[in-house]
Amino acid sequence: MSLAGSLMTGLMLAWVLGGTVWLLTTRTYRITQVGRFAMDLLGFPVELTQSLFGRGGVPYALLLPNMAIFGLFTFAPMILNFYVSFTGGSSIILFERPWVGWEKYGDIFSCENFLEPRTCENAGYNFFTGLYNTLWFVVIQVPIMCSVALLTAIVVNRDIKGRGFWRAMFFYPVMLSPVVIANIWNWVLHRKGVLNETLDGATGALNALAGLSGFDMVMTVSLAVILMVVTERALRSASEPSTAWTGVFAVILTLLTAWANPLSLLGLSGSFWLGLALGLFLVWLVASGKSAARTAIMGAAFLAAVMLLSIQFSTVFDLGSYRPNNWLVTPNTGWPFFWLVFVFCWSHMGFYMLILLAGLQAIPRDLYEAAKMDATRPWRAFTRITLPLVMPTLTVVIILSLIRSFQIFDEVYLLTGGGPGRETYMIVQNIYEVAFTDSSPDYGQAAAGSVLMAAIIAIFTFGQLWLTRRQSDL
Amino acid sequence: MTMPHGHSIPPGGPMRRLTRFLTRTSGRGDSAQGFGVTDVLAYSYLAFGVLIVLVPVLWTFFTSIKPERQVENFDTRLLPYSQIEEEIAGVGTRDLWIFDDGTGEEQLVFKAGPTRSVTDVATPENPDEVFGVPRETLEPLEEVRVAVENYLDPILKRNGQENFHFATYLFNSVFVTVVATLITLLINAMAGFALSKYRFRGRLTFTILIVATLLIPASIILVSLFFVVWSFGIFGSLWGVIIPAAATPTGVFLLRQYMLTIPDELLEAARMDAASEWRIFWRIIIPLSLPALSVLAILSVIWRWNDFLWPLIVLISDPSAHTLQLGLTQFAGEFNTDFHYILAMTVVTLLPITLVFVWLQRFITTGIATTGLK
Repeated sequence: MSLAGSLMTGLMLAWVLGGTVWLLTTRTYRITQVGRFAMDLLGFPVELTQSLFGRGGVPYALLLPNMAIFGLFTFAPMILNFYVSFTGGSSIILFERPWVGWEKYGDIFSCENFLEPRTCENAGYNFFTGLYNTLWFVVIQVPIMCSVALLTAIVVNRDIKGRGFWRAMFFYPVMLSPVVIANIWNWVLHRKGVLNETLDGATGALNALAGLSGFDMVMTVSLAVILMVVTERALRSASEPSTAWTGVFAVILTLLTAWANPLSLLGLSGSFWLGLALGLFLVWLVASGKSAARTAIMGAAFLAAVMLLSIQFSTVFDLGSYRPNNWLVTPNTGWPFFWLVFVFCWSHMGFYMLILLAGLQAIPRDLYEAAKMDATRPWRAFTRITLPLVMPTLTVVIILSLIRSFQIFDEVYLLTGGGPGRETYMIVQNIYEVAFTDSSPDYGQAAAGSVLMAAIIAIFTFGQLWLTRRQSDL
Repeated sequence: MTMPHGHSIPPGGPMRRLTRFLTRTSGRGDSAQGFGVTDVLAYSYLAFGVLIVLVPVLWTFFTSIKPERQVENFDTRLLPYSQIEEEIAGVGTRDLWIFDDGTGEEQLVFKAGPTRSVTDVATPENPDEVFGVPRETLEPLEEVRVAVENYLDPILKRNGQENFHFATYLFNSVFVTVVATLITLLINAMAGFALSKYRFRGRLTFTILIVATLLIPASIILVSLFFVVWSFGIFGSLWGVIIPAAATPTGVFLLRQYMLTIPDELLEAARMDAASEWRIFWRIIIPLSLPALSVLAILSVIWRWNDFLWPLIVLISDPSAHTLQLGLTQFAGEFNTDFHYILAMTVVTLLPITLVFVWLQRFITTGIATTGLK
């Protein structure tokens, strides 16, 4: 038995035996009061403190276990981290570790060009690869997740039926463990998994549809009808166009632009993004109540009609045969990274949605009533009431999700293992592998990495707090 | 955005009035809101989101009850089909196939040789009368059967699944979860009590220290926490997972905030009756803060049950100390082709937490929404 083990046993014995003796001498218990005795025994140190030092000593005794654990297992390691990062070797006995000064940091900063991990020595290469991957991940994932969480919270906060059900459904993945999540998505994203199967089926169905005679005409006519109805709906109201219908119109416009592919006339790609930009611009015009909105919608409708006539639907929907994608394994496609972002959002979004929902519900309803009285446009109500009032909560959510996604490990480790190559190799995985899976663990190196990571997280957090210093309530 | 986009009351004929009646959502008569396009968009967004959340989980569940062969062939039919076998005299147990000779007449056959473009088959009644048929004319004769063996084999260690010590993993997981939650509840409640009901020197310092721990992410102290845990001699044992995570800043705050709402008069009255401080804590504070305690209990159960990285470091070298999460990882790593077992065990692992969630869902979501931090 180790030293700590025998100490613990001794302490336990002293607690139980000493407590029993002390309690039985100072108090009387009837045989039916076993439960009361047990509970007094559990709090024996507190009782003893009270009888020795009076009531003033009690709070310290109450705080002791909690603070001891914080001190030993959070603050002490925090400080110890600096010490370990200045020592070398693979010994796990602290006093036997030789002092090496700044060597471990030197290994990390051994690069010729810090933006190019390839130019570093081994330790630096791993560290900077992990760092840049993690930074990319954070920069991409945090805004996406926060906006999706905010959007979902706003939708759930509407006057909808079954709010509890929707809220619970979106929160459910938060309850699942990373291992379960990884197994589920591994199965879905397998090369022969259900996603590839579905895409294959969808492609086949579209190809078959496109092969039908008269498909072109039917598509053109039905889309023309839809376009007409949506445009009419958007422009129906005498005062100003409807935002929601403009949204629907924007979706159709985006699709039409993507299919008509007008940029291909100039030999460029990316028509979809052009369409998306056009659609968003239109929605923004309508939502912010610009006077040009009506004209813009009519212009866009005309443009859409022209594009609609130019589309050969039978060629657009003839997608050729679908080749199953090995989502998590194929290098240089960006898919592994994409799915990491997706799965991470999938599994964490619900939590942030709940916090934002609480923030939204704290906004007084009267404000919206008043805005409605003044015939305020929804977009204006959003930017002038919802957004400013939910900003404190949003700041907390951004900081929490930032800290969280900086530490991403479980999902990556279980889904891709950092691969393919080093495409999804994250910084915590670097720390974990250097310290715990290498045949000759380099704790100093890992600790140095941890210290640097802590510094980067601190910079990000305080930067964020400083940027939003007026709204934050953290 | 947050206001439903209502129509003004349109004049019109009976058709128009009928539509208006059918699409009315709430209120009555003139004040009724139409079921506008905003509502359609909102509900379709929600339905789409729920599909994305649920489909992977349900798909995993439906796969986990499929027989091995169906899983191996990546059969994407929803229901678990398995081919019917029959004991054929003088030949042994064979799969049955339906042979359709093109005239619409169907015949039950079994394969008498290897599968080729023209396969030799025979009927179970006349096993010796072998005849060749084209491969495409054979359809498997199937029945719907839940493959319970996917679950039972690893749990009962049958069929070469001796490496998955389900009972051990389950015990370890339950032990860690229950003990850690009890310790967390006790010491966090004590700390919350001290910080909410006593005035003493250093109260602010302690509060700030606890806030500070909120901002220290666990993964940046991994290496040195390993040193600390190792020097305490609890590395490799379940206590190495339980103790470091037992004190949670979230829990202390949650309980402190709640206990602040308990009136001091109750405590004073108890002190008049010469109750000791510990008894006040146990008999008054604990029963009165049960709502907050149960929120913390649920949170703690979720955290400990789903914990991965720290148990991976502390317990990985000793298979008898693995938790369910670690066991499942190892299992999926070692036999990564046996998807039917892996998925069944995945379902077993997610089941308890799902049941807890279904049972306490309203409580959990409101609890987290009101306490906020994690």
